[in-house]
Order: sequence, then C-alpha cells, then structure tokens
Amino acid sequence: MKLSRVRIGILAGSLVLGTVALSGGGASAKALTNVTFAYDFPGPDFELVPLVVAQDRGYFAQAGLKVKIVFPPNTSTTTKMLALGSADIGMLTTSDMVIAVNAGAPVLSVANYSMHNNWGLFALPGTSLNASTLKATLKGKRIFSYGDTWTESMLPFVLRYAGLSTSQVKVVTDPTGYDLTFLLAHKVDVSTNTTNYELPGWAGSNKPGHLSELLGTKVGAPDVPIWTYAVTRGYASAHGATIRAFLSAVKKATIWAAKNPAAAAGEFDMAYPKSGYTDAYNKLGWSLTVPILTNASGQYFTQTSAQWTTLARALKGIKLITNVKPPGVYYTNSYQP
Amino acid sequence: MNRKTLLNVGVPLLSLVLLLLLWQGIVVVFHVAPYIAPRPMAAIRSVTDNWSTLWPLVLGTIRETVYGFACGAVLGLTLGAVMAKVGFLQRLVYPVLVLSQAVPTIALAAPLVLILGFGVGPKVVIVAWIVFFPVAVNVLDGLSHVDQDLVNLARVYGAPRWRTFVHIEVPASATPIFTGLKIGATYAVGGAIIGEFLGSEGASLAIFQEHANANFNTAAVYGTTMLMTVIGISWFLLVIGLETLATPWQRRSVARRYRWRR
Amino acid sequence: MGKTFGETAALAPVTLDVADGSFVAVVGPSGCGKSTLFNVIAGLLEPDEGEVRVAGVDVTGTTGHVGYMLQKDLLVPWRTVEDNITMAARLTRGVTPEDRAEARRVASGYGLGEFLRHYPSALSGGMRQRVALMRTLVTHQPLLLLDEPFGALDAQTRLEMQQWLLQVWRETGRTVLFITHDVDESIFLSDRILVMSPRPGRVVADLGNDLPRPRDLGTLVEPQFVTLKARIMSLLHEDLS
Repeated sequence: MKLSRVRIGILAGSLVLGTVALSGGGASAKALTNVTFAYDFPGPDFELVPLVVAQDRGYFAQAGLKVKIVFPPNTSTTTKMLALGSADIGMLTTSDMVIAVNAGAPVLSVANYSMHNNWGLFALPGTSLNASTLKATLKGKRIFSYGDTWTESMLPFVLRYAGLSTSQVKVVTDPTGYDLTFLLAHKVDVSTNTTNYELPGWAGSNKPGHLSELLGTKVGAPDVPIWTYAVTRGYASAHGATIRAFLSAVKKATIWAAKNPAAAAGEFDMAYPKSGYTDAYNKLGWSLTVPILTNASGQYFTQTSAQWTTLARALKGIKLITNVKPPGVYYTNSYQP
Repeated sequence: MNRKTLLNVGVPLLSLVLLLLLWQGIVVVFHVAPYIAPRPMAAIRSVTDNWSTLWPLVLGTIRETVYGFACGAVLGLTLGAVMAKVGFLQRLVYPVLVLSQAVPTIALAAPLVLILGFGVGPKVVIVAWIVFFPVAVNVLDGLSHVDQDLVNLARVYGAPRWRTFVHIEVPASATPIFTGLKIGATYAVGGAIIGEFLGSEGASLAIFQEHANANFNTAAVYGTTMLMTVIGISWFLLVIGLETLATPWQRRSVARRYRWRR
Repeated sequence: MGKTFGETAALAPVTLDVADGSFVAVVGPSGCGKSTLFNVIAGLLEPDEGEVRVAGVDVTGTTGHVGYMLQKDLLVPWRTVEDNITMAARLTRGVTPEDRAEARRVASGYGLGEFLRHYPSALSGGMRQRVALMRTLVTHQPLLLLDEPFGALDAQTRLEMQQWLLQVWRETGRTVLFITHDVDESIFLSDRILVMSPRPGRVVADLGNDLPRPRDLGTLVEPQFVTLKARIMSLLHEDLS
C-alpha cells in the first residue's frame, strides 16, 4: 500500500503493465525460471528500486530467474492476484497480509521489505505537530485518509494517544486523491502518509518552508514493518528454490542500492522513464527509504514473531480481524538467504 | 387489477430469486473461495448484521441522491423549456449540453472536491449533472411536438402565451418529461456513489465498501453493492409512483373526486 | 355584424357581410381557401389588405373574438369533460365557480351530464365533438366558426349531430359560419351558402337558402333542396364537366 503519489498527467487508477526486459548477463544457454512479481500499487515508483536494480545488474539472471513485473489495477488487488495465481510473488502491506490470512487466503510473508514504521501525520508549515499538544491540534480537525488498511490501523493509536474519539475529529477519505493537493488547498488540516513519499512530494511542490511532521511511532503507533514480500503457501511448497533465488537476488540488489542510492534511483528513472515522477523525487524518496530497510542489528528481510503478533493484536483491537493467529501462520524466514 | 399486480410484482421477484439461486449454485459447485466471491446469504447477512452502521450511510446516500435529483430536474426542466421557446438559445446551448455529458463523471469529481470540499456539495453537483441532461432533452422534445392545432385554438381563444404554455404545452409534454425524469432517476444513485468514493467526510456507503474491499470482506462488498442497487431501484419506483399520481388520465376513464378542486 | 376582407396569398379579395344570427355555409373543394378565410376571421392570419369587423369593431389580426371548432375535437386528454368545457376561461381570465356551473348546465342540457368527470378517452367521437361544441358555446362569442366539425364522424352520427347543432343554434341565436365538403350538409343547415373555388381561392357564388325551418329528414328530398343542390354541384364541378 502506497500512501502518496505525485500525479503528473496520470489519471487515477490506470492500469500500467510494465515489462522490464532482462539484460543478459553471461552467454549462458541455461533455461531461466519465469517469475511474475506483482507490485502493491497500480504504477511503478521508487520502492520498486531493489527489483529494478536486480534486473539491471543481472542478479536475477545470475540466480536463474526471468522476472516479469506487473501492476494491479488498484491498491487492494495484489493479494487477490497472488491467491488467484496471476502473480507468483508480490509486495503487500503487512496489515493487508494479516487480514488476508484471517479471511482464509493462503498467503505467506517471506521477507520484510522494510523494518520500521515510517507512517506519520503531516501539516502545512504554519501548523505545529507535537506529541504534547496533539489533542488540541487534532480536535475538530479534518484528517485526510486514503481509506487503506494501514492508515485505518494506525489512526486509532494516534487518536487514543491524543485522548480523542473518532467523532471528535473529521476523517476525510479519498482513495483516489492526492493528500498534498487537499492540504495545500486547505481542504484538510492534517494529512497522513509515509515519510518517504510525503517529503519528496512536498519538495516537488516547490512551496517554501518545511512540512510539519509527526511520526506515528512517537504518538503510540507500534514500530512494525509496513511492507513485505509474500507468496501463496501453494507456491511456496512447489517452488521453494525459486523463492530462495528470488530473495537472494533482491537482497543483493537492496544492499547495493542502499550503498549507491543516487545510482540506484537513476536506474529506476531509466527503467521507467514514463513513471510520472521526476528524477529528483525518485532520488529523494529512495534515499529516505534506505534508513528504514534495516533493523537494529543492520539486517535486511528478517521477520520476527513479535512484529506479527503486535500487528495482529492491533488489528483485532480495532475489529478488523476477529482472532490473532499464531505468528507462524503469517510468516516464515526460511526462504531467505 | 389484482391478477395484474400479482404478475407485475411476482415475476420480477421470481427472476430475482432465480438469480440468487444461480449465484449460490456457482459458488458451491465451483468451490469459490469466500474471499473471491461470497454466498448470497453471506452477502445479505453482512448488510443485516451491520445495519446499525449502514443505516445512517444509506440515509446519507439517499439525501445526496434526492437533493441532486431535485437540482438536476429543476435545471433540466428550465433549460428544456427555455431552449424550446428561444430558438437561438437552443442552437447555442444544446451542443454545450451534449459536451457536458461527454465528460466522464470520475474526471468531474476531482476538481469538484477541490472546490467544494468533502461535504455533500460535490455529490449533489455530480447527481444534478447526470440528471439534468435526459430531462432537458426530453422536455425540449416534448415541447417541440405539441399539436399545433391545439396551440392555435388557444390563440383563437385569446390566450396569452404563458397561459398556453402552462395549460397546454406543459401537460401535453407529460410523457416525455417523465421519461426524462425516469432516466435521470436510474443513474442518480450511481452518481452519488461515485461522488462519495472520490471524497467523503466521515463515513459513507462507498467508503464503507472500499474499506470492506481493502479488508478482504468480500461478503460486505457484495452486500453493499446489493444495498446500492436496492436504493437505486427504490428511487426509480418512487419516480414512477410520482408519474402515476401526476397523470391519472393515462390509466383511468373517470377522474377521482377531489372536493378541494370544486 | 359585417365582415370585410382583403386578400391573402391563398385567397382572392373577398367582401362578406354576415347578418346577425344567420347560418352561413361555405362549400368548396380543397385548396379553395375556406380555412384561410376562417383563419383570417379568427385573427390567426393577417390579411394583406382589408379588415375584419365584428359588431362594428375592427378586430383584424387580433384573437379572442370568435368561437372556433375544427374537425379534430382538440379536447385535451389530461382534463375531464367539465374542465375541457371551461378551457377558454382557463386560458384567458381563470375559471370561476360560475364558469363551472355553466359547464355543468350545458352538459346536462345536452345529455352529457353523467360524463362530466370522465376523461375524453372514454367518450365516442360524436360525444367528443359535442363537448367541443359546448366548449365553443360557453365562450359566449356571438360568432362561431365551425370548420368541418362533423367530417370525421360516420354518416349516422353526422345526421344526429347536424340536428343537434340546429337545435343549439335555434336556442342560442348565435351567428354561425360553417365550412363543409358535403353539399347536402351545407343546404340542410344554412340560410345562405357561399360556394368557393380554388386557383385562386375565391367566392364564386353567394346563394340564398330559404327552405322552411324547422328542417327534418324530409327536407332532404324536397324539390327546392334538389334544385339548390344541382346548382351548387354544377358550380363546383365547372372545370370537370
């Protein structure tokens, strides 16, 4: 689930099917395994960098894979694409994962994309967002939401911290709009998004000053990863080796892209010149994503039972699911390199 | 009358029941997973179980539909009449009206939200936009095809033009006018839902469905769709009821006794 | 009262003086300008030259001074019989309780009292024309223009309507101008017959008709009737024979 987008000339909800051609590595005549990867958003943006790098620098080819990247028609379809078999591996939000599993969909998380919760509240430069004055700041105000599960899961933490009930604020929902537009037009008072998308968006708007920002984790939201790589259980039992190969290639690419953020963003620009985002936006966005990719021990991908249990409990608390399953039902680390 | 009513109501109900049975059959026979498509009863139950949450949302959608329809109908009636009476305005305005309908509703909603905010405004505008065109076109059509001999007769009686308009031309156009209203009524609810989807303050029926969709609650997605359909049909039937009340001569040979008219 | 006309494109110059309370028939084939004549008198058309005077008042080009009836009854389907009868009032000054009372009286007087609250769709052709005539009568215009009002009715109904019209005319004393194709009808009803001819539309003969009144079916075979008929027929079919 992506929370913000710069829409330059792109109609909301258009289906973009991108096929990234494999740039050949060696002169090997070995047959490559086909893998279809479904992104979590209808169009390509900078969080796709690890996959782009894995393509461009031949990591997929070296791992014996030919990866095709597809985009869902809207933000809630990736899980269904996995369940129906139109994609093999996908990128999902962890909240969508938990809900899908609880609804009976046989999906399984195989690696964390990122490690930290960089979701937060944002406001125009004039408005101050502080944990200590949160109640006064939010009471009676219009808060923007994309209507997605992550925002729905996080907002209650914020409101509880602020000591407000949902009836004391006005949550404005627009799944297809762009939150910065409404913020700038003063149609909403406070916006919600993840930092790596909101800040480049603000930079791109060329407005003076700095966006006011308050991380959700500072006001009661749990620090759990937002995005994850997932497969179906059926695919996992039949193609475990492929998943392993995929994850090892992507991990290599992620490490390289983290060490060379500007170059990595540049490779994304070249792979998707018509993405609708400027080079500057992609560069800033990716550089803001890099810090949240590793945990305290500097590891990529590694999931914990605690993260899933915490998240599931939070979702149960706001009645999006009815019971918390054992964490092993939601994830496994066994396919990671 | 009784047997006819039985047929008019019974047959559609029967086809509805058959449709539901077919749906149930498909889901069961093909072992469709509940998160892909629910059974009909699950969809219906999602509505009845959540009725206390849904009822205010339904009221909200109805309110948007009714306000929007009223605005659209008034606008359509006025425009149609003006175009019928003022030839050069018709040539000027008619192409613009047609153009207005070529704009996709979704593209319309985005700027509306920016201008009018997230309240009921954009929804009312969208519904009015959808409704006014069929009304205007049909009013224009009806008023252009009034029996000229009748209009001449009114002139011979010495009738001023506005009286001829009110007592002859408008009632003579009753059938096309109601046709326009019925067409507008059919699409009105859909417009309200689009408006809600593209920006709601607080909860709305469309956002409830969107949340259900994001939350894998497929039963609720189907259930709210059924709910929206019911609202749409009800509104259409209401307009038909209005037509029945307003045009008694099409069904009766003797007028009812209304003492207040004498 | 008198009427003087000029010309319009479809009608050659006509001068016509009509006596109060008389029944004038206008006979002629299609295209002879009879309807144009009526439209000028009614004020729907302006004559290129000349004027129309009713009871001495110049009413050229104005409306609201004659009663008018066509072959189509032009009853509005969305109103009851009673409301149709009061239509002229509704279209001019608004309907008063007196108007309604009179409508009821006239309808009852001519046998349609039970149908006051019916819609026109429930009535036969003959009944509808009767209602149309009643509508015309209650306008109290001294001059009535009837343009082939019985043309669409079957022969039997037509006879009944002709006798009924004569009764109404006798009782109300209005002046009637009556257009028809039917020569028998023109002689049966009128005191005076204008024969018109087309290309250009003009009056070719102005015949008196003093057959004794009251007239009945026997009048149709009187020698005087037949003579008049022969005269008119030869005038009408001059170009054919």
